[in-house]
Amino acid sequence: MSRIIDSGLEELSAVLYKMGELAYHTVLIAIRECVESRDSYNEIREISDTLILMADYVEDKAFELIARFQPVASDLRTIKSYMKIAYDFVRFGRYALDVSHANQKLGGIRNCDKWIISHVKDMGEKVLSMVRLSIDSLKSRDPQLAEKVAQIENEVDKMYFDFLDELIERVDTTIKCAVSSVLIIRYLERIADHSAYVCESIIYITTGKRVILR
Amino acid sequence: MAPKLEVEDLNAWFGTKQVLKNINIKIEENAVTAIIGPSGCGKTTFLRCLNRMHEINPDARVSGKVLFNGLNIYGNGVDPVMIRKKIGMVFQKPNPFPMMSIYDNVVAGLKLNGVRDKKSLDAVVRRSLELVNLWDEVKDDLNKSGASLSGGQQQRLCIARALAVEPEVLLMDEPCSALDPISTAKIEVLIRKLAKTYTIVIVTHNMQQAARVSDYTAFFYLGELIEYGPTKQIFENPKHELTEKYITGKFG
Ligand SMILES: Nc1ncnc2c1ncn2[C@@H]1O[C@H](COP(=O)(O)OP(=O)(O)OP(=O)(O)O)[C@@H](O)[C@H]1O
Ligand SMILES: [Mg+2]
Repeated sequence: MSRIIDSGLEELSAVLYKMGELAYHTVLIAIRECVESRDSYNEIREISDTLILMADYVEDKAFELIARFQPVASDLRTIKSYMKIAYDFVRFGRYALDVSHANQKLGGIRNCDKWIISHVKDMGEKVLSMVRLSIDSLKSRDPQLAEKVAQIENEVDKMYFDFLDELIERVDTTIKCAVSSVLIIRYLERIADHSAYVCESIIYITTGKRVILR
Repeated sequence: MAPKLEVEDLNAWFGTKQVLKNINIKIEENAVTAIIGPSGCGKTTFLRCLNRMHEINPDARVSGKVLFNGLNIYGNGVDPVMIRKKIGMVFQKPNPFPMMSIYDNVVAGLKLNGVRDKKSLDAVVRRSLELVNLWDEVKDDLNKSGASLSGGQQQRLCIARALAVEPEVLLMDEPCSALDPISTAKIEVLIRKLAKTYTIVIVTHNMQQAARVSDYTAFFYLGELIEYGPTKQIFENPKHELTEKYITGKFG
């Protein structure tokens, strides 16, 4: 028998899936912008604003479900986690916008040294795969899949610190390139963190265990 | 969309005691409206005023209007029996007719109205029992007594009986208070399903039940309608202090 609360939970899931895809798209085009000649700032800003509205909706609906159904156990964990995940998706959009800001308003890295471009490109790909993994874990409710994010998160962390180490050594880098690249790398690292948060939430929903995948 | 029921300046008395005071409320079609409030505040009386059952008590008196599809059910020449057919009632304690079979319980109202054709009665029995999700459980026992069923099944049988005469509105007075949690959950799911085609008004002592099943909630206190609005709003952000106190359990 399906319960009255189920239709509300399904509606929340559907909104979250949409948010996930929108958030993924913002990260994707922000990363492309770093190495290709294009301007996605306005598009990202629009989607980012939409994500904020959708997260407000998720919170509102989650509140309603709590008030109306007094959810317990997995229902309660799901609702609490959905609010957190909605916020993580908002952060994806926000950091994508920050990356785009660095690209469009601070000069970006396209004209910087090859090693910077290739580092950002590699890290961007890894981060994008983490975002995808977090969305897939949400859709499949698969804690084993979610756990896999930890490995990539480690690699991204290492790339982040390696980059900073190298940049300090390279005295010939222009200030412009240094500022843009550090900001972009930092934002990417934050997106990676939020992907890990999403995966932690999936494990919490499905198993009740609180784990740290960072 | 016009409301299904529109209550205007409704007052009700038992003898000289006024138990409903100037109630005004619009009840939406194809929605569930819950009536909540402390014991004795007039919930049952209000419900019984909506289909002219209040006046069955010789002591009772009503003033004001109840517009059903725009027609005042207290108007001159309106047949209360007709009104009770269109606005059915389900009671707190499941009350199937104990000497009757399950089958006869469902069609009791129709037979009273002179329907005899076996084929159409069969069809009504099946349709009504399917509607309340009882058909699969009883289809091989239709000739058994209605009293042989569990409490939850009896209540669904009573709902089927009310639906058999094709009402437009269903009034339910604490339909789950005598039932266990599983049977209660089944009735609640059923209420949501029925709300797609019927207008439902449910009185409940259980605020959580009101929160779960209803689209609109009305809070009564000492015979007055204190607050009425979408259930989400009443339970998240009530406007009236009395409502807040009642639903948070800070009463008295
Ligand atoms: N048959 C009756 N004769 C006289 N007074 C009555 C009768 N039935 C109810 N009352 C009075 O009318 C008032 C409203 O009663 P009603 O049954 O409508 O309240 P209620 O909100 O349904 O209460 P509960 O939650 O206990 O069912 C109460 O003060 C009650 O004592
Ligand atoms: Mg009562």
